[in-house]
Amino acid sequence: MRAYILRRLAQSVLVVWAVTTIMFFMFRVMPADPTAILLERGLSDEARLALMEEWGLTGSLWDQYVAYLGNIAQGDFGNSFFYRKPVWDVLFPLIVNTLWIAIPGLLMGAALGAAIGTAVGWAPRGGKLERSGIFLATVIRGVPNFVIGIALLTVFSSTLGWFPGFGMGDPGATTGFARYFTLDFLHHLALPLIAVTIYFLPENLLLMRSGVVENRTEDYIELVRAKGVPQRRVAWHAARNSMLPLITWLFPALAETIAGIVVIEIVFSWPGVGRELVLAVTRQDYPLAQAAFFLLAVMIVLANLAADLAYGKLDPRVVYK
Amino acid sequence: MTQATDDTAIRGRGLFSAMRDSVRLLMTDSFAVIGLLILGLFVLLALIGPWLAPYEPFKAMMTETGRLNRLAPPSAEHLLGTTAFGNDVLSQFLYGFRIALIVGLVAAVAVGFISTVFGVLSGYFGGYVDDVLMRLTDIALSIPTLPFAIVAVALLGPSIENIILVITILFWRNGARIIRSAVLTERERIYVKWARAAGASHAHIILRHILPNIVRIVFLWVTMSVAFAILTEASLSFLGLGDPTVVSWGQMLNIAFSSGNLRTAWWWVVPPSLALVLLVSSLYLIGRAYEEQTNPRLRRR
Repeated sequence: MRAYILRRLAQSVLVVWAVTTIMFFMFRVMPADPTAILLERGLSDEARLALMEEWGLTGSLWDQYVAYLGNIAQGDFGNSFFYRKPVWDVLFPLIVNTLWIAIPGLLMGAALGAAIGTAVGWAPRGGKLERSGIFLATVIRGVPNFVIGIALLTVFSSTLGWFPGFGMGDPGATTGFARYFTLDFLHHLALPLIAVTIYFLPENLLLMRSGVVENRTEDYIELVRAKGVPQRRVAWHAARNSMLPLITWLFPALAETIAGIVVIEIVFSWPGVGRELVLAVTRQDYPLAQAAFFLLAVMIVLANLAADLAYGKLDPRVVYK
Repeated sequence: MTQATDDTAIRGRGLFSAMRDSVRLLMTDSFAVIGLLILGLFVLLALIGPWLAPYEPFKAMMTETGRLNRLAPPSAEHLLGTTAFGNDVLSQFLYGFRIALIVGLVAAVAVGFISTVFGVLSGYFGGYVDDVLMRLTDIALSIPTLPFAIVAVALLGPSIENIILVITILFWRNGARIIRSAVLTERERIYVKWARAAGASHAHIILRHILPNIVRIVFLWVTMSVAFAILTEASLSFLGLGDPTVVSWGQMLNIAFSSGNLRTAWWWVVPPSLALVLLVSSLYLIGRAYEEQTNPRLRRR
């Protein structure tokens, strides 16, 4: 077990290194003039040269690569052009904001999806409930998340005026950590959270339904039924055994959410990492864009690591080697 | 065992007849038929859309008094009204079909081809090729898709060619893995061993035994790739990173959103949203039919 964890950790470090190398190519090699995107315009020649030295933009490509890895290993991503402060000062407070909609949204989507998916999977095959459930889930799965966002925004915010559709709090609201526990915050949280939930619900529903359909013909279900257990409880047996793939799916899904949530953060002007990435790219604030991309990639690596470790804990049949 | 069955077992199956079979299979699934009908309509509109469009998509409409005809609700002259910049919504909407079709089609061909080649080589020959490919996809899978697309398109420049290139780079990996594992199971089947023993070449086995049997999985993956490609292009355009010179539905929504006209100009927002939903859903409906068929435990018993 320990050997497995160590090997998985080493693998994760390797993947992070590979992502950094890809970033090096994207930000340093691919652009015609990397100094133009990494150094601010309008610097004096000396200041420019000094910065190029500091950033390792001089010398051969290999020297540049080594300097680049060195900077990243030290967590040095430089300063944001736009905010004029270190990129991490900009990004760290945003991580919590992203997780605030990603994790509860994913869990709600999974819970609702599992509940409805069990009902659909347990329903008679080819019946009305099964067919309409599958049809609706497949269609809703095809709704792009910005369309979900736009629809929620138009109906519940601009037309009905039930929820605010912009940002995390009204002007003059509580700031700092305490803000996460105000009604105003929850009010702002509602729509983006619902958007993430709707985005994940259909996939969970279909996954759960497949699991229940596969399990309902197993022998143990016959046995439970033969014992005279009520239908509802029998369905619960099948559902419980179908949850394993759902739970292990949650971690990679979390990674995918953090990456895909970008669009929802933009629609609701939710100050998260993804929105900052888009803003940084449109403002040509490349140090910030680079750091935000790196942060998202590391989050994905960590989520996958957690998934692999949790899988073994949940399924005793998995043998670590 | 008769001589005849022995022969077919060794000769295998034509790739085209396998493809025909898997298309015929779709016809038995009513949801997939709905998907195919919608898809067919969309392809048709993509082909003839620009001829149907009454105006140039980026042409600014003027009122009789010579002012910009902005945010006009639907009328006989502009069936779907105009945008905040006086463009005819119907014309933009109709041009949008073409770009969605191009993105989907190119991605399908590129991703389908690359994934299949890598998946088959890696799964069939195993060994060194397989190791390299698996490490490569391990890494590729930990790249956040949309953020990568955002950064890459911003750095390469927002043209439709670059967007398709980035989509291809992003989505070949999943397909290669799925096809590889399908090939791995096929390779171990007894008939492959027979064919080998009877002296069939690797090319023969791949083309006439392996490929015909994984056609459904390849089709499933291609269908999903088209959906992902269209969604990615739409998301990029919605974020304002699309090709500014071509009209796409994502771009229409981006402009409606960023100019603050979501609520007032429903005629501008609803058509592109609805088209995207219909197109992607129809692909998922088709994909689902293959999913049910490739997973034997889901087949009706």
